Amino acid sequence: MTRLSTKSTLIILLSLVVFTMLLSMGFGVAELGHDEVWQCISSGCDKPIYDTILWQIRLPRVLLGFLAGFGLAVAGALMQNVTRNPLADPYLFGIIAGAGLGATLSTFLPANLQFFSLPLAAFLGALFAVFIVIVVVVRNNWRKTEHLLLAGVAVNFLFSSGTSFILYMGDAFSSNRVIFWLMGSLARADQTALMWIFPVVLIVTIAALLLGRQLDALLLSDDSARTLGVHVEKLRITVLILCAALTAVIVSFCGGIGFVGLMIPHIVRRFVGLTTAKLLIATGLVGGCFLIWVDVLARTSLGGQEIPIGVITSAIGSIFFLLIMRKM
Amino acid sequence: MSHTVLQAKNISWAIEQLTIIQNIDFSIDAGETVAIVGPNGAGKTSLLKCLYGEHRDYSGQISIKGKSLQQISPRQVAKKIAVVSQHAESVFNLSALDIVSMGLIPHKGLFDTTTTADHIKIDQALNKVDLLNKKNQSFNTLSGGEQQRILIARAIVQSPDLLIMDEPTNHLDIYYQHQILQLAKKLKITLLLTIHDLNLAAQYCDRIVLIANGRLYADDIPEVVFNEKLLSKVFKLDCHVDQNPFTQSPRITFSGNISNPQLSNIRHAESIVND
Repeated sequence: MTRLSTKSTLIILLSLVVFTMLLSMGFGVAELGHDEVWQCISSGCDKPIYDTILWQIRLPRVLLGFLAGFGLAVAGALMQNVTRNPLADPYLFGIIAGAGLGATLSTFLPANLQFFSLPLAAFLGALFAVFIVIVVVVRNNWRKTEHLLLAGVAVNFLFSSGTSFILYMGDAFSSNRVIFWLMGSLARADQTALMWIFPVVLIVTIAALLLGRQLDALLLSDDSARTLGVHVEKLRITVLILCAALTAVIVSFCGGIGFVGLMIPHIVRRFVGLTTAKLLIATGLVGGCFLIWVDVLARTSLGGQEIPIGVITSAIGSIFFLLIMRKM
Repeated sequence: MSHTVLQAKNISWAIEQLTIIQNIDFSIDAGETVAIVGPNGAGKTSLLKCLYGEHRDYSGQISIKGKSLQQISPRQVAKKIAVVSQHAESVFNLSALDIVSMGLIPHKGLFDTTTTADHIKIDQALNKVDLLNKKNQSFNTLSGGEQQRILIARAIVQSPDLLIMDEPTNHLDIYYQHQILQLAKKLKITLLLTIHDLNLAAQYCDRIVLIANGRLYADDIPEVVFNEKLLSKVFKLDCHVDQNPFTQSPRITFSGNISNPQLSNIRHAESIVND
């Protein structure tokens, strides 16, 4: 596969982002099509309601979709490079299961607090899951990167069983709300969500770019990286903490959106290569665009009824993997 | 006047109370090519790992250009010592260029970018190993000899004071064995390598460090170290040494008659360590 130059990659992807954002804002249940959107952007909206729909509903949602897709894809690319495992995914930490348990426990709080407490509880649950995984792996002296994945799988099952038990015992209304949240949605798109997610995505991406060269050294082997002066264990734990924070904050607002972190780096790597800096930028931009379009599909395919976004990403992701396996 | 590049004094290293190397002293001067030879499990690779900072829990003193290895950061060590390890295969589809570019890592800070001079340096290194035309090819699809040459190119980009090669001729046919060693010599860099083939060591190295069972048995020029009595004792095989008619270096031939039954005990202990 011929790899694209950095300049061509950036030009193509930035054009894709602008095109995606502009076009996606013309989709929705309300009668605000592409012509009206273009008019609103170029010379102001005809009706005040268009202003509200475009700038307070659709734009935040598109931005949240972009940031969540960007962050999940970057976390996936980082996880795959740092563990040298092309099947690594941010959710393998047990993050989604931890967030799910946190969200489920928040249903015990008074109803008027639940709207605010669910993201916070999910965030804390996700961090707790990651904390357990990292403690297990560090106590095991990082002998093998597989330990990280195995610990993540174990924590995932442990927390999932806790969630299932509580949902089974809980009242139907709260359980339904948590189940819908677990399936992923961008319906919480508002300024608060953007204000939380944007700085985390920005900081983690910049930090990862600064560590890019050292991460490149890990791609061959740990021994090889050490001979290049890289402190392998310290680097790996730094990256894991960055990925954990990134995924936890996204999951806490958007719920479980699987396969983006697994699938997008796989696709992008074929076109731009493995060098961390280039891969991260390209993966993030493609992941952002991907999630915006998945959300468009989620909002429009069943008329007024919204399909959980995680259902679509998981379906596309599974089909993608089956296709990859066919070529193996 | 010779300048000492690397000095090892009284080096010992143990793992889980099993002593692997003990009280080894030797040094390497600038421009020298030194081979560490010895039977399997003698402690050659463990010694190398102490020398390039992979094992930092050794006792004794190792200094590179006068600076103690334990007092400088791993990055500083990497600026002074480059390592070409045994066979390395990448899980990912890394290109030859990706691997060679890694040589820049010890020299670049967090905010440094890759400059035009860096690109020129990488191309020159690839040119030196005669693989510039394959720089975009997948590392995993290159032959064993080409992979070794790519790793040497990475070491060239690393611009070290000392190049360490751990059994660089393993898995290579006779042509590539000579090609890799001639290439390494042509770099005119101080070179330390471990090698199993004593005839190659005799042909290409200025000095031989012979170790067995974790101890230093000899450290001298090939003509001195490769004598029948010493080699028979260390390798537990009857040995004959004469002269290579092409290079006039010592030529070592073993009979195949195992002369010491205790050998199996030593190798058993070593295999536990390697596992």
